[in-house]
Amino acid sequence: MSTAHGAHDAHDDDHGHVDHGSPFIQHHYDDAQHQFDSGKLGIWLFLAQEVLFFSALFVAYILYRVHHPEIYSYAHKWLDVKMGATNTAVLIFSSLTAAWAVRAAQKNQKGLLIGCIAVTIGCACTFLVIKYMEYSHKVHEHILFGRYFDPCISPGGTELLTKHNDCKGTKSTVEWSLDQAGELDLLNGKALSGCMEISKFDQEPREPGIQASCHVFEVKRTRNAKGDWTEGARREITNQCPEEGLETLEGKKHETPKYPCWRPAVQPAVCTPVVAANKPPSMQFGVIVEYGDEEERGEDVAIDAKCDAAKPEPQPADIFATQPETERLGQKAIQPIHQLTVHEEHELESLGPPPEHTGMFLTVYFAMTGLHGIHVLFGVFVFIWLLIRAVKGQFNDTYFGPIDFAALYWHIVDLIWIFLFPLLYLIH
Amino acid sequence: MAATEHHDDDHNDISHVAPARVLLATGGTLLMLTLLTVLATHVDFGANINLAVAMVIAVTKATLVILFFMHLRYDKLFHTVVFVSALLAASLFVGFTLMDTSQYQQTNIWQPSNPPRAPLGPRPTTG
Repeated sequence: MSTAHGAHDAHDDDHGHVDHGSPFIQHHYDDAQHQFDSGKLGIWLFLAQEVLFFSALFVAYILYRVHHPEIYSYAHKWLDVKMGATNTAVLIFSSLTAAWAVRAAQKNQKGLLIGCIAVTIGCACTFLVIKYMEYSHKVHEHILFGRYFDPCISPGGTELLTKHNDCKGTKSTVEWSLDQAGELDLLNGKALSGCMEISKFDQEPREPGIQASCHVFEVKRTRNAKGDWTEGARREITNQCPEEGLETLEGKKHETPKYPCWRPAVQPAVCTPVVAANKPPSMQFGVIVEYGDEEERGEDVAIDAKCDAAKPEPQPADIFATQPETERLGQKAIQPIHQLTVHEEHELESLGPPPEHTGMFLTVYFAMTGLHGIHVLFGVFVFIWLLIRAVKGQFNDTYFGPIDFAALYWHIVDLIWIFLFPLLYLIH
Repeated sequence: MAATEHHDDDHNDISHVAPARVLLATGGTLLMLTLLTVLATHVDFGANINLAVAMVIAVTKATLVILFFMHLRYDKLFHTVVFVSALLAASLFVGFTLMDTSQYQQTNIWQPSNPPRAPLGPRPTTG
């Protein structure tokens, strides 16, 4: 029998029942078994509603992923798999200790029970500390939800110019460049490219002959009180697009095109990569995109591009005779002749600008991990309460319900993380 | 009630005691599966198969947790009924929501200050 403190408030030992084995067996239950079974059914019903509770967020996740897979495959690169995996292992280990705590209580092993609960609390706090590190990194770099998404760094760690100028850079223009060494002035930080739909930005532009010669105009557009747009005079600017490839450009000391070249007639809203001249051909392209800015501006510079039709790529008569005549100068660097693997496609996508509404991934991320984190925090408080009671010796082999129920709750928290980890961190 | 004689083996009058070996084996398997699912992302099976692999591992891990850590294997059948019915309700929830998602047109959102030059047609139906 335990030496429980008889401090339980509504308890009176003298209402006619025989010894329950624990002063915490309430008088309205037949016996300890009855109380335990009632509590267990209660916690299972609670866990069932927890499943339904989280399923709403999983629905949001699945729906958005079905509609915008490109956002998930892009934005998950901001998450740190190592931290996520560490947290998974920490939670699994704490689940083991929680399960062991139940076993210890059932076997009257007070010291082991206290140890198991303490380790569980320690693991839960470790989880929260790692989560805090991840969150604070995202807050610091403005990798945030919804319209607060304004990242200071690309997934690859490149520093970016942001809309609100709170990292560094110019206002209302976001520029993404692969080049770490000053390719950002490619557009003088002023260009508005008018790019809209970049959900699959490399599906069309990777076709041959895309770098057609363009005539680009800058147009000053103003907006009156009614919201109608009027255009000023057009000013043609030199924006020669590379036609023959990088080597040709370098040989001719060609000027770098100021604006990206559109593919004529097809998808006028799709941005095409600009090949930076005078650079080694490895991954040296950038795309300029403005997105997600809800601010109204009085006047704007718009770009009007007229492009010559792209030259049709000569089709090889024999499909087996693919090389080497189809390889034009520089082409190999821009567009691989071989069929890209899925991995390479993802790499290409991740190197470009983010798809539109990329912040939605982080909305889902913060909502799901945030709700989960609140559950972890609540679990910490519950286990601290249980630790105090265990130290007081209030649990024994007839009264261990609270330990069992808290452990069940803890397992469901672990269970949800088991799904969150691959769904958020391990997107391929 | 209140028979509190102490048993040396894993016995409890009120509830089943999880054997130590089962707990250790479950925990070890879960950690191994976590390592496996991280390693699996480094292999390129194609996006869908990679997702399927990750989900199969996650479901396996979840089943282990439910059966052994949460004692459902040794527990009353009614608790299984409660939990599985919650899973069924959740899958109905997901299934019915996804049923008609392809019936809605995509919405193109653009900046009012920078309207597109050409009217945007329906998005190309890829994927």
